[in-house]
Amino acid sequence: MQRREALKSLAILTGGAVLIPSCNFEKEDILAAYSNLQITPTLQTLLGQIADTIIPPGQLKGAIDLAVQDFILVMVNDCIDKDQQTQFSKGLQEFNAFTKKTGSSNFSKLEPTAKEKVITEGLAIAADTTDENLKSIREFLSITKRFTIQGFMMSEYMMTEVKPYSLIPGSYNGEVLISSISNTKING
Amino acid sequence: MANFNIDAKSERTYQAIVIGSGMSGSWAAKELCEHGVKTLVIERGRNVKHLRDYPTTNMLPHEFEHRGQLTKQIEEDNPVVSKCYAFREDAMHFFVKDKEHPYVQEKPFDWIRGYQVGGKSLLWARQVQRWSDFDFDGPARDGFAVDWPIRYKDIAPWYSHVEKFAGVSGNKDGLANLPDGEFLPGFELNIVEKYFQEQLKKHYGDSRHMILARCAHITGNLEYYKQQGRVQCQSRNLCQRGCPFGGYFSANASTLPWAEKTGNMTMRTDAVVHSIIYDEAKGKATGVRIVDVNTKQTEEYFADVIFVNAAALNTNLILLNSTSNRFPNGLGNDSELLGKYVAFHNYRAGISAEYEGYSEYTTTGGRPTSGYFPRFRNLHKQETDFLRGYAAGFSAGRYNYADQSGVGLSLKEELLNPSKCSNWSVGSHMMGETIPKATNYVTLSKTEKDAWGIPLLSVNVDYDDNDEKMVKDYQEQMTEMFDKAGFTNIRVRDDHRAPGLDIHEMGGVRMGKDPKTSLLNKDHQLHACANVYVTDGACMTSTSTQNPSLSYMAFAARAAHHAMKNQKWGNV
Repeated sequence: MQRREALKSLAILTGGAVLIPSCNFEKEDILAAYSNLQITPTLQTLLGQIADTIIPPGQLKGAIDLAVQDFILVMVNDCIDKDQQTQFSKGLQEFNAFTKKTGSSNFSKLEPTAKEKVITEGLAIAADTTDENLKSIREFLSITKRFTIQGFMMSEYMMTEVKPYSLIPGSYNGEVLISSISNTKING
Repeated sequence: MANFNIDAKSERTYQAIVIGSGMSGSWAAKELCEHGVKTLVIERGRNVKHLRDYPTTNMLPHEFEHRGQLTKQIEEDNPVVSKCYAFREDAMHFFVKDKEHPYVQEKPFDWIRGYQVGGKSLLWARQVQRWSDFDFDGPARDGFAVDWPIRYKDIAPWYSHVEKFAGVSGNKDGLANLPDGEFLPGFELNIVEKYFQEQLKKHYGDSRHMILARCAHITGNLEYYKQQGRVQCQSRNLCQRGCPFGGYFSANASTLPWAEKTGNMTMRTDAVVHSIIYDEAKGKATGVRIVDVNTKQTEEYFADVIFVNAAALNTNLILLNSTSNRFPNGLGNDSELLGKYVAFHNYRAGISAEYEGYSEYTTTGGRPTSGYFPRFRNLHKQETDFLRGYAAGFSAGRYNYADQSGVGLSLKEELLNPSKCSNWSVGSHMMGETIPKATNYVTLSKTEKDAWGIPLLSVNVDYDDNDEKMVKDYQEQMTEMFDKAGFTNIRVRDDHRAPGLDIHEMGGVRMGKDPKTSLLNKDHQLHACANVYVTDGACMTSTSTQNPSLSYMAFAARAAHHAMKNQKWGNV
């Protein structure tokens, strides 16, 4: 019942123009914790792929390695306004349709550079666009990028292994020549 | 009232009762216990034991589910306390939630409270500037409120007394309007803050100063503080979580364990004070009636002397609710002024700007304080179309940041190795004196009661024309000073916040010389009920501009010694 309601409201949300993905969306259950965001396991996977494109694995772990998609969902579910949540859900649900237009395939099937291109184009959509679908793609990607960065930078991995956070920052020095600070480059 | 006491009255009798275990109550308790006085401390909240009850103190950023942020649900449920800068995921367990303890806002008032052992002393901003006679003289010189019955010479030794024990870091600045105290080594102003200091000297001579703010942090004399189990401040800047080092002064880390160690302190937590019991035959207060938070049963405790340190507005509430035939409108309220002349600090205005100089410098490490402007307006004489003036915070800083425009590996590399450095950003916020007025008052609700049958407090406090003019003057004067210092991109703000969010509410039980126009005498005793002392924010005759906690601590210590002398107690 809950699932049917969710699908119904999804249809209303998107003006009926829901592009049901080729996977078995209809049979999926909405993840209980995110019922109000209408997040299915497929959408959660897609979100992970988007986050992993924004911060990919390399010499250091990437977004999926750190389960950043789960952090994004927690933050979207708990810490942003309702209308932003709506834009997020709508943008996520329509993201593959947008991908097909700009990248001519489902997102997951694209090469990494093509994935980056889709996201860059989505983020470049004009803020004042009158196309509601494009607007939600833009909003969805901005929110996702923001929380991907935060989730990555404030992950346990970063805070304890890569750039260990110190609860004791050391005594204050108010006059430090920037040139005197040695920064070892971290390769991503 | 039903009384469920089963044990003997003598077992419920102490020499002194202190209502409230926070900033001022803990000081009264410490002084009394240290000198052998059997003291009951009554606290409406739960116990918060130093170290044991700081659940977040050593948590890393990733260990907070929302990385420190509040959820929308919490914000919606708590529209008032959510406005407080320190009400965040790491410290929200030390704040009163809106729904738990409602009050009536006749006008918007953001009442920020900490109901637990230690009260708000766990959460405060730790700024401790002394008053001077430029402050105590205010009402008499400028013709508002009533004359303070004390002057700087009365309180100066007590400032020294509490500064030494609490630990105050600062510089000897030699300013008559902000007297020097017992200071541990000061933290450092940074290169741009020092530059601004010089600019002020150049453009304003000796008439305006920006100094290092004195703060209640341990930076020296370490052997002495070891006796309290406290060590040097580590500049963590996570103070509001409770400090595992005891690096800043809180009742929990300092005064309360000290009092407890004497064996003379009894702590009764989870006890809401209903009223103070007045005995007409004896002509004095004899005890305190409480309601147990959990069982909701009434109990009575007895003592020769009662200190009311429930935090400014709750002290008003308790006295207003302490009615008897002798005092039908509240204990000691012969003047009918109880609850009136409430005031606060005006924190509405601020300014920010940038400085392009010293671009080759930055700062490292942490610092638990910043710069401070002692009041310069109307200091020696009236010079504006508004009364009194403002102090102000000041700080400069800069930070590295990443260019977040990209996507993919390039973004990742940039996040790991930020290539950008901001200009120095400089900013200040206003701390304005407000003028106490009869029209700013608190009363008891006639219709609404809390879960323990105690009337809700109704708050009617607002800004006035003097405050509006002062906001404007702050913005103009700061803009002028920033401009003269060569700062750019200067932006002033007025956030129109409601009174209360400054968390410096004061008055309602003001001190004064004349029982007809004040509630308390020069020794913090109720004129009409001399064995009741009030030494928290409620006693304030005027507000001046300084962060008030240091004065409350000094008042409490001084009044405790007065009580002990009066009662011929202990080894005073």
